[in-house]
Amino acid sequence: MSPVIRILARRFGISLIVLVGVSMLIFAIARIIPGDPARIALGPNATAEQVAAIRAEMHLDEGILAQYGYFVRDVLRGDLGTSLYTNRPVTFDIRQFLPATLELVILAGILMVGIGLPLGILAARYRGRWPDHLIRVLTLLTVSAPSFVWAVILMLIFAFYLPLFPVAGRLSDSYDITRVTGFLTVDTILAGNWGAFVDALHHLILPSVALALSGIGQAARLTRANMVETYDKPYIEMAQAYGFFPSRIARSYAFKPSLIPSLTIIGLDFAAMLGNAFLVEAVFAWPGLSRYGVAVILRKDLNAIMGTVLVIALTFIVVNIVVDLLIAFLNPRIRHSTRGAAS
Amino acid sequence: MRQTPLLAAALGAATALTSPAFAQTVLRLDEVAVGELDPAKASDYADSILMFNVYDTLVLPTQGAPGHDPHLATSWEVDGSSYTFTLRDDVTFQSGNPFTAADVVYSLERMQALGQGLSYLFGGVTAEAVDDTTVRFDLGEPYAPFIASLVRLPIVDSALIEANATADDEWGESFLSAHGAGSGAYTVTSHNPQEETVMAVNSDYFLPIDEAAPDEVRLRYGLEGATVRTLLAQGEHDIASQWLPPEVIRALAEDGAQLLTESGTGAFYIKLNTARAPLDDVDCRLALASAFDYATALQMVAITDDVAAGSASTGAIPVGMFGANPAEDVLTRDLDAARAYLADCPTPPADWNLEISWIAEVPLEERFALLMQANFAELGISSSIETLPWALFTERVASPENTPHISQIFANAVTGDPDTLLYSMYHSSVPGTWQSPEYLDDPEVDAALEAGRRGPSEAERDTAYSALNARLMDLAPTIYAYDRQSVFAASNRVSVPALSDPAKAFGMDGMGFTFRLMEMTEE
Repeated sequence: MSPVIRILARRFGISLIVLVGVSMLIFAIARIIPGDPARIALGPNATAEQVAAIRAEMHLDEGILAQYGYFVRDVLRGDLGTSLYTNRPVTFDIRQFLPATLELVILAGILMVGIGLPLGILAARYRGRWPDHLIRVLTLLTVSAPSFVWAVILMLIFAFYLPLFPVAGRLSDSYDITRVTGFLTVDTILAGNWGAFVDALHHLILPSVALALSGIGQAARLTRANMVETYDKPYIEMAQAYGFFPSRIARSYAFKPSLIPSLTIIGLDFAAMLGNAFLVEAVFAWPGLSRYGVAVILRKDLNAIMGTVLVIALTFIVVNIVVDLLIAFLNPRIRHSTRGAAS
Repeated sequence: MRQTPLLAAALGAATALTSPAFAQTVLRLDEVAVGELDPAKASDYADSILMFNVYDTLVLPTQGAPGHDPHLATSWEVDGSSYTFTLRDDVTFQSGNPFTAADVVYSLERMQALGQGLSYLFGGVTAEAVDDTTVRFDLGEPYAPFIASLVRLPIVDSALIEANATADDEWGESFLSAHGAGSGAYTVTSHNPQEETVMAVNSDYFLPIDEAAPDEVRLRYGLEGATVRTLLAQGEHDIASQWLPPEVIRALAEDGAQLLTESGTGAFYIKLNTARAPLDDVDCRLALASAFDYATALQMVAITDDVAAGSASTGAIPVGMFGANPAEDVLTRDLDAARAYLADCPTPPADWNLEISWIAEVPLEERFALLMQANFAELGISSSIETLPWALFTERVASPENTPHISQIFANAVTGDPDTLLYSMYHSSVPGTWQSPEYLDDPEVDAALEAGRRGPSEAERDTAYSALNARLMDLAPTIYAYDRQSVFAASNRVSVPALSDPAKAFGMDGMGFTFRLMEMTEE
């Protein structure tokens, strides 16, 4: 069996255990949070009878093990229950809200890698010189403030004082696009409406930049640190002694080995953005899953909490597997290892 | 001559091409998420706005005065606990189905069967369609606020819902969570409970709609203060929700926004736990009520010099409702009286250690907790401040020993009638809820509340509630901090008489947002 297949098989096995563990943990934690979910859902004016009816419908009047049993049974049928927050099936809510967050996070991830890595390479290549100093100061600035602060700052500058970007939502009111995938940049292309595509992209820029800024800084600093360490290796000195061009040394000999430790962190950062996006979504009125997740936690909407957490956990797992495969691709010692060890 | 028709056609085409297209007016406003579209589940402010525009009710509150006017009904007769309504015969639902008495019966039964939202208002009520235009309600026992309750019974299109119901979903909940099924002045174009609901004017509405009313309405959910401010500045928003922090509303007003207000249905109540010492003694409670600084409390919710998110309290019942004291009889701080009451209080001030709680989700309440702490300290009373998330608060108030000495609540009458505000707060049969952390048990209060329910005349109800008000002032189970007033910052593109002219106000939360009565104007 090829080492890559072995890595995948092992990862899938562990992922399944992780998912079951997460579901049990969140199931228990969600029930420890103070407050009666039925009471919260029905509002302050609901009668005791109304609350009791919802509790019975949700099996909240039974033991926690029985409740978990119902949950597992329903999940295996593809049913995550009904959200008490939106009064709709949780699967429907996830289908509606997840693409919005994924679209945001994917663009933010592209920005993180597309800007962060080159900045890190540039800083390492010119280490100790002014481009390095400038990049280190700038990246320190981006990592020192959380994304919601950047969201407000970017909105103030580029929407309030310089009205260059839209403030809220995913698409201007003038466009009516049929939702096929839920990714508006894709749906607008499918509809052949290029004006709407540009508009959707225009709406995406500020929130995704706000979300990506801290990741860009982190990716740049991490890449720089790893590359600077690699530059001290004897084989780099040898390449320099052979008179290779600095750009070739950076690209072929310093960057690739430095990328491996950075990749794991960047992968985790990327997956974490899914959960961290909620404040950016709140500031830009972005109807995504992160905002939904926070809203359902505050309302102790048990079914929706479980659904959201499982989706985020699943995303972490998928991203980790992708990162492992990338590392295996980049690192021949793993790719060709008979033990199939992954990071 | 032969060229004339061609020329005319060419001119016509050119005119059509060069004339500006009919400008569709769009009203944009926001509310907190989530917008519940199913009228049987509606309870929050956003839900009410949707309900009042997509659906109609048999009656509507009279604008600028107490009482109710016929709406889908043309008249009604009361015979003890039986109410018979004659209905309009010229109303059709947005689907084109005719409106009949059967729809009224179906709407009531659907609400009762789902048991959510404000369905508790109709517990024990039965309805019967006498004929297509006559419906009779039987309440079982006299209940004077019934007419007021009917503003919370939106009439749904039973034929449309039944056509979209399934064996697993007999009341069409799934359909109504995303679609409208009413006869209202606005139809639902799209609905995302976390993002926005888009509505378009119903050109077949049974009442005339002013041409200046918005053609389209976009009700957005969960916008942040900074976002709303930027949107208003960019001209992309028209009415901000009442939940913005006062400083943001003030900033918007300074930027030129108009301030709209809605009042008369609720108040800010500081609840005293009458089942725990030392507040189980009336003199101890009166000492606190007298020591509270009502004027500073109002300053804390001031938006501008002229507008505040509250008005001076005159007692237990907000000004404008049955039994309210005259507006000029405002409550004021009286430290001498407080000291006199304290002298009669069996627990010496040094032995008090009051728990003052505030709801974590309402930061304004922390300021009031600090104000109380300072006010009571002047009497030598020590206190501690406790933050309680709403969910924990509702659990704590379930037993008197766990209920904090002092809790803070914003409460309003969901039908505009004092019964829906006061009964659930002060009747001894309903202690231990978020509305009744006082645990008040007083036969005189119970009798007055029941007399207010029975009616039958408005004069008798007014007398009953006046007596109730006086008794509640004597017992001081609550510090009646101020009468609540909702303040909305709005652009000058919209005119909302129901929220700016007291003579056109409905006296009911959310009904000021009846879009057909709004006017979009050029700035």
